[in-house]
Amino acid sequence: MRQAGAMQSVAEFDNVGLRYGTGSETLTDISFTLFPGSFYFLTGASGAGKTSLLKLLYLSLRPSRGAIRMFGHDTVTMTRDRLPGFRRRIGVVFQDFRLVPHLTAFDNIALPLRIAGISEKDLQDPVTEMLSWIGLSERAEARPATLSGGEQQRVAIARAVIGRPEILVADEPTGNVDPEMAVRLLQLFAALNRLGTTVVVATHDIHLLQEIEGAQMMRLEKGRLSDPTGSLKHPARPLILKN
Amino acid sequence: MAAPFAFAIPAHDRKLIPDGRFSGTMSWVMAIMLFLTLLAAAAAISLGNAASQGSDTLGSEATVQLLDPDPAQRAAQQKSVAQILRGMPGVAEVKAVPEVESRKLIEPWLGDAANDADIPVPALIDVRFDNPPSAATLKQVQQSLRRVSQSARIDSHASWMAPFVALMQTLFLLALSVMLLLLLATAATVVLSVRGALNTHRTTIEIMHMMGSTDIQAARLFQRRVALDALFGGMVGLLAAVLVLWLLGSRFSALEPGLLADAGMPLYGWLLLVLIPVGVAALAMLTARWTVLSALKKII
Repeated sequence: MRQAGAMQSVAEFDNVGLRYGTGSETLTDISFTLFPGSFYFLTGASGAGKTSLLKLLYLSLRPSRGAIRMFGHDTVTMTRDRLPGFRRRIGVVFQDFRLVPHLTAFDNIALPLRIAGISEKDLQDPVTEMLSWIGLSERAEARPATLSGGEQQRVAIARAVIGRPEILVADEPTGNVDPEMAVRLLQLFAALNRLGTTVVVATHDIHLLQEIEGAQMMRLEKGRLSDPTGSLKHPARPLILKN
Repeated sequence: MAAPFAFAIPAHDRKLIPDGRFSGTMSWVMAIMLFLTLLAAAAAISLGNAASQGSDTLGSEATVQLLDPDPAQRAAQQKSVAQILRGMPGVAEVKAVPEVESRKLIEPWLGDAANDADIPVPALIDVRFDNPPSAATLKQVQQSLRRVSQSARIDSHASWMAPFVALMQTLFLLALSVMLLLLLATAATVVLSVRGALNTHRTTIEIMHMMGSTDIQAARLFQRRVALDALFGGMVGLLAAVLVLWLLGSRFSALEPGLLADAGMPLYGWLLLVLIPVGVAALAMLTARWTVLSALKKII
């Protein structure tokens, strides 16, 4: 894991609030800074606002108030046409996978590269390698409907990391896999993290948190962020997987 | 994905919006709309042509009648008046109508009696001017002719042509309006179809959006599909319309030459008809693009 030092932050939230429609605030006074190469767990009970916070992180929502800077740029006031360039620097694993149903596993994984304009020649090897890594080489031409929940999840994760994102945001990424696969996926995230990717994993799996030493934790309670490790505004510490 | 042109989309990107869920009905609706649009356009072109030809050609023509009761005198006056007319500035052509032809004109009403020498028939002279003559010019010509024959009378064809030309112009405007309404309806059909397709493929578009797809990239997937559907429909519509117009043309050509003879389709009209499906495909493509871009603006 790289030391953040004086590096520019990956994400910086300052007093952010989020309100859907005219209801009460889903997120209130959220402030934190994510540094390059750090690994974070986002925890909290169901309905605490984890998914909403992640949506703000992967630029799917704009906050109702407050400031958000991604990669050093204010994304709250940023014009729409500039957002796609920033989204391509973010990998997302959705809670419900969100695979394109009529595309094969190969095409689903290749999608971010094709969107980024990578040529067919240049994307064949990385996608094939990624399929091999997640153990789905034999299912490259399978459509999501014919894959098991765990296989779909692996494809979703492969799609999120194929473009070597600067930040990986995962919403309950191990929710549908067995404990062994959960650890393997965490190993993938850790490997990416070692390459410099900032990782944010939302989970309510306490056992998962215990698997990792040194990971920093953000806890959401009723839309407010607590900072149990007290380290969110400081450079990240080395991440160690126990097994 | 970064292909600059609507049709230059790689095969793997086309898979994002499967054809089966979008085309089919749309192509046939476009074919029907294009068929009707082309018929309206053909009507507009033909009627516009008839109105224009009618006012230009027949409006430049006039007929001189010499009503002297003495046949010999009438014939002599016909020669003199024709001579005078030929020397007038602005007169392009003068034709003294032989008495036999004049009698043929009344044959439908009088039968064989039309050829009875005892029935007086006015001597006629057809005159064609370089440009449609004004009322003042006609009055001046009539005054010149009266010096030769007191019975000389000149009638401009424009006077009896005016109601016909006005009718043609009204029908032309009507056909043009129908054509424009059909084009609007076609655009509306495209908007509805694209909105339906957007709803069908909303998940795919949202996933692409989250991965950094630009609005233009998403719009390109739809506009290509719509353009192909419109082009296919356009070709089917064009084929059907050409067939109908050819049949109508053969019926018209069987008629006696007359006013309707001017209502034919000029060469530029056929070229326009061929260009309309291409134009409609472009219109459909732009409409699809606008619809998708407008819809995508609602998500950040």
